[in-house]
Amino acid sequence: MTSVQLLALLPFMLLATASIIVILLIAFKQSHTVIQVTGFLMMCSVILAMWYVRDVLPVAVLPLLVVDGFAAIFTGMIIFSVLVVGLFSFIYFEEREENPKEYYILLFLSTLGAAVLTISRHFISLFIGLELLSVSLYALIAYLRTRNNAVEAGLKYLVLAAVSSAFLLFGMALIYMETGSMEFNAIAQKTGTTLSPLFVTGVGLMVVAIGFKLAIVPFHLWAADVYQGAPAPVTSFIATVSKIGVFAVLLRFGQAVHLQANSLAFTIFAALAILSMIAGNILALRQDNIKRLLAYSSIAHFGYLIVAFLPGNEAGVEASMFYLLAYSITTLVAFGIITLLSTRERDAEKLEGYRGLFWRHPILAAVLTVALLSLAGIPLTGGFIGKFAVLTSGVQQGLWAPVIVLVLTSVVGIYYYLRILTTLFAEAPSIAKKEKVLHPFFYNAMYAALIVLAVILLGIGVFPSGVMNGIKEFLAIGGQ
Amino acid sequence: MNVLFYLSSAIAIAATIMVITRYKPIHALLYLVVSFMAVAMIFLSLGAPFVAVLEIILYAGAIIVLMIFVVMMLNLGSETAQQEKEWLLPKVWLGPSILSLVLLGEIIYLLLRSGTGNASFIFIDSKKVALSLYGEYIIAVELTGFLLMAGIVGAAHIGKHKKKHLHRFLQEEEVSTKIEVRSTKPEDEKQTKPVAYKP
Repeated sequence: MTSVQLLALLPFMLLATASIIVILLIAFKQSHTVIQVTGFLMMCSVILAMWYVRDVLPVAVLPLLVVDGFAAIFTGMIIFSVLVVGLFSFIYFEEREENPKEYYILLFLSTLGAAVLTISRHFISLFIGLELLSVSLYALIAYLRTRNNAVEAGLKYLVLAAVSSAFLLFGMALIYMETGSMEFNAIAQKTGTTLSPLFVTGVGLMVVAIGFKLAIVPFHLWAADVYQGAPAPVTSFIATVSKIGVFAVLLRFGQAVHLQANSLAFTIFAALAILSMIAGNILALRQDNIKRLLAYSSIAHFGYLIVAFLPGNEAGVEASMFYLLAYSITTLVAFGIITLLSTRERDAEKLEGYRGLFWRHPILAAVLTVALLSLAGIPLTGGFIGKFAVLTSGVQQGLWAPVIVLVLTSVVGIYYYLRILTTLFAEAPSIAKKEKVLHPFFYNAMYAALIVLAVILLGIGVFPSGVMNGIKEFLAIGGQ
Repeated sequence: MNVLFYLSSAIAIAATIMVITRYKPIHALLYLVVSFMAVAMIFLSLGAPFVAVLEIILYAGAIIVLMIFVVMMLNLGSETAQQEKEWLLPKVWLGPSILSLVLLGEIIYLLLRSGTGNASFIFIDSKKVALSLYGEYIIAVELTGFLLMAGIVGAAHIGKHKKKHLHRFLQEEEVSTKIEVRSTKPEDEKQTKPVAYKP
């Protein structure tokens, strides 16, 4: 391995080191606070390293990995999300019955898995990254192991993820059998423009696994239960980091083998997108549990994202990146507020508990309002620009069916987001007396982080050009 | 060579179906061992003896270790041996044995016809495996290490026994042992006191 390759892998090595450092800190019996702060600094250093190495990109670390601008953007988003998730975790796990320290090892390991997904250009690294992500997630979901909901969710995820991994492996085997290679670019060269039936079958089997991880209909059955059962910070991790990683690898694979050029594969993805948008929005309509509601809304959102994946061109990639950025910030804000309002015994997941939140915590209610408006795609928020970019990329390619479904289902979506909003501003049942704030430093840090995130969300909604140019600049680095 | 491949594949599939339809875990494990041996046979017939041996050592070997653990933990005595004899009906061991015998036949066939094998496939020995693992795929090996770490940390957390902190009134056993200790002390004093007062 040359020094340039090592330099390009520096952020990922730092990320891997973070988990080992946490293990060492636990071995030396350091406190939760020390581990939290060290983890925070390590994640910051990963982002700095990514910024530092961007001049040498793109670097291919043959045959498994390639670090380019594309990977840098997605890794940046992943690490950013983990920073926020880590901040949320402190109060949540400090107050719970379990020892919170191993949580950080698993958190950083699964982040490593997601980051490996963004740089993988080979089936082997894809599979190992995906397994690293899901094996850590099994334990993270069931982390509060005395709670029945958490154990049920963890077991459900374990069984279904194992089955989906089997599908993935079989699909890879079929593609390997057809092309004799497991590297994306080599596969593209072998297949040319026309894809054989065996190849498309292999891709179809892989789509089962990818669809499972992204919770696309009809592979979405786990989503609501796992979102509900997992601890709130872990849920936000599943909703952002794991999906960003998997979507990145799907995007890279699609670009490499020109998946969208094949009419059968194109039809499959279009059908998945339409199904997800319809089913996700309809299932969310009657939900009274806010975590389940966000699960169904995430299914719908990934339906929208697949619409941006369908054109298979630069505009689609840029649109999906912007959409993912806005979506992950929004989701982090929403789950951050759930974390902040959760009590020791249970997560704040009942919609009833949010009645009159505005009169108790006006700032939190305002932040949640921004997040919900962004999820609904109301102008002046990041969510609107994201949806607009997705629509533009779809319309340019004349994908009328998915685009029309997108618009119609967005209208349906506004109904249930506004339902939460009306609850927030409704008359409070009784003004509960203010509870004493535990861990004031982390409480205030979290409060500040939520406000900053909401401001960013409004900022990219009002001035999207800065972010868009940034994405274009990074994509230009990693030119194929 | 194709016949061998299909035969071992059929055995692998049959054994695996038996694994998931057995009600008793040990019976399922028997079939699982056969399934792994069949997969090893597939590797062998494809010209990868090293991977075949690894398959036997790592997977089949691990299961044997598991069985030994079960036997150890149950702490069986002499009367269970009698019970075991009654339970070990032919229908339990006949299936796995027949499948294993077929595999054995395949290996004997392969050994006897050695030297006349066609060279249509590449022979993969341990050196080639090592070179590719620690050469171009070194990052994959390292990442697998992290994967194992995730598995171990996760399993350790989920399986950890929590220390019970009982209230002191609830700690009956400890309290009763303390009382016993106290009650023995005066007796000792009684025995020693007369001796002490005599002079």
